[in-house]
Amino acid sequence: MKIGLIRGAIQWLSFFVLTYGGRVGIHLGSALPCFACPFVPGCGGYCYLMGLQGYIGFGLALGPAQGKEILVALGWLGVFILLVLLLGKAWCGFICPFGLIQDWLTFIRNKLGLRERYLSPQGKKYLGVVKYVFLGLIVFLPPLIVAKILPPDLYLPFCNICPGKLILPLFAGETRYLAVNLDNAVTMWLSLALIVVAAVTLVGAFFKDRFYCLFCPFLALIHVLRPLTALRLVKEPTSCVGCGVCRRNCQMDVAILDQDQAQVQTIECVDCLRCLTACPMSGTLKYKFLSLTLFAASRWTRLRLRPKP
Amino acid sequence: MTEPLDRLSRLLLKAKAKALAEENETLAWFRRRPDYRPEFEYFLNIVGQGDLAAIADRAGRPVIALLCNQSPLELIVAAGFQPVKIASGSLAETSFSGFGWPALTCPVVKGLLTRLAFKSSSRSVPIVAPATCDWVAKFGEMARFALPAPPSVAYLDLPRFKQDPFSQKKWLSEVYKLKNYLEDLRGGPITRANLLAAIADLNAAYAAFLSLKAARLKGQLSLSWFLLIVGSFFGDTPRRWAENARRLTFKSNGSNSLAKVFLAGSPIFFPNFKLPALMEEAGLTTVADDLCSSERIFPPGQVLEDSSLPGLLASLAGRYHQGCLCPTFGDNDRRINNILGQKNEAGFTGVVFTVLKGCHPYDLESSLLEPALKERNLRFLRLETDYAAEDRQNLLTRLEAFGQSLKGEPGF
Repeated sequence: MKIGLIRGAIQWLSFFVLTYGGRVGIHLGSALPCFACPFVPGCGGYCYLMGLQGYIGFGLALGPAQGKEILVALGWLGVFILLVLLLGKAWCGFICPFGLIQDWLTFIRNKLGLRERYLSPQGKKYLGVVKYVFLGLIVFLPPLIVAKILPPDLYLPFCNICPGKLILPLFAGETRYLAVNLDNAVTMWLSLALIVVAAVTLVGAFFKDRFYCLFCPFLALIHVLRPLTALRLVKEPTSCVGCGVCRRNCQMDVAILDQDQAQVQTIECVDCLRCLTACPMSGTLKYKFLSLTLFAASRWTRLRLRPKP
Repeated sequence: MTEPLDRLSRLLLKAKAKALAEENETLAWFRRRPDYRPEFEYFLNIVGQGDLAAIADRAGRPVIALLCNQSPLELIVAAGFQPVKIASGSLAETSFSGFGWPALTCPVVKGLLTRLAFKSSSRSVPIVAPATCDWVAKFGEMARFALPAPPSVAYLDLPRFKQDPFSQKKWLSEVYKLKNYLEDLRGGPITRANLLAAIADLNAAYAAFLSLKAARLKGQLSLSWFLLIVGSFFGDTPRRWAENARRLTFKSNGSNSLAKVFLAGSPIFFPNFKLPALMEEAGLTTVADDLCSSERIFPPGQVLEDSSLPGLLASLAGRYHQGCLCPTFGDNDRRINNILGQKNEAGFTGVVFTVLKGCHPYDLESSLLEPALKERNLRFLRLETDYAAEDRQNLLTRLEAFGQSLKGEPGF
């Protein structure tokens, strides 16, 4: 089965739905576990990270007086958990529009014949910490804003420096985030930071597959629920010959893929399934929904005769 | 001084004549087989790799000879050369005693040195040798000792611990060394476009190989023909070989043997088809193998996502090192997984393990594999043999008994 084609088709479909869906009345709610940016005019759903900042800062933090908001916040949290339990990291590999944009950059780099830059394991470890810093921003800053310890312009602190806020709206013709916001010093520095982060992300993603996913707070959030997710990548270690093709083709360079262990879905894994496509040992890697195998590695069907000159 | 040399020359001439007769005898045996088909003729014509000049003429490009499987073929094809794995399967060549090698010398290397002694044209062909077993590592020195004009041997220092990241880096640097060596021979750089074209050619060959493997799995291609066709891969350009292999058509022969086996162990090289012939005679159906002269010519792991030149080289380095199941590696314990994985697909119940006398790594490997495979309910038969015909009957009896045990016949 052409996993790459199926995945590509789903990525494109979700990109259109999440970027333009609102224009035809589609809205998938405010708890999507991917970068469905609310700053895109006419988008088809909202990234849960925005909701999380909003509900924590302006819902839960307001206390019992705002009981309804708390219920709404808990409701969206429940939806988020349900969506993660259902699809796991497929949100990253199959659905996230920002993931697709990074895959386009990889495609262009490959067409130009430029090599991918690899990070050392140590470098990856240090950079991986950034996602927890972002999570910290999401959880701890909103209450401080509500308590008026921090200025209100820091509202939605993560969104203010999320590269998706600048890049994704461009696909809907929204260019205002390209400019520096000179309303006051806080907005100026935040908008400058956004431009810098977006530029670094684009350059990084051009030279390194799924560069931004290294920092994405969703990977950490989804990974918390990984043991319970219905959709998952599993490995049968007794038929792995350790050829390493999985790791060499992994977008996130997951170091343990070719080792003798069953649990290979690490926090970095984005379910791109390039390992499964490349694996020459039939049935060694499987992509399963509960006990149903959706895709399995196969010696016979993996003949992607690319790259071609 | 002249007398011993004359004697050596006479012995070499005799060995040469015998080796030629052996090759012709094997080819005639294939043509006499009931499952011979005219479409196999192409492979019969290109299978002998004794005359490297003839292969160069056929391929229309100069030959680089290879001693083992770990040199990336794509790189050699990209440099404009025809890769030819050289090894001897000839009794006449291995029986030649003129050089005084120890009795338990690897017959493949010993025979090869004899052949190079009487094929002076082949001595001008450069040899690339990834240093796998001790015999291969000593080959250059042995050639300098035995041959008046030894061939140039470019060694690749193959790290023995393939799962170690430092070894992988070291091997990548060896692949770059090979690239530089080939560029010097070629007189120009190997470009990304050259390499992509070569990868496309090798991928086509791999696809053809898979169709042969599928046919064997379904019992439509016998072990002997499979080994001959796959073994002839180096006799022509990968593209032409693939085109001819793809043109083969397979039909079910109606038999559904219960005695399905996996063939492992030392390589089997043309013209020595003693063991495959005996296995067929004993009624064993070989559905898969992991011989370096057969399935392992095409290592796994060829999907290449990073198509920059350094990305392609890194991918090829990994494919030919980490993906290799050669017993000379110090961390080869997962080779058993290849057998178990193929068991699920092919449904064999026994493993025939052949050890060529003098081939120490496989000798040791058989001792390590036997208990592990038996633990997993696979029957195991270890056969130690050489190229001589004397043990034919003994081997046949053991193979027949093994076949009966696999069929669950009384007494087993």
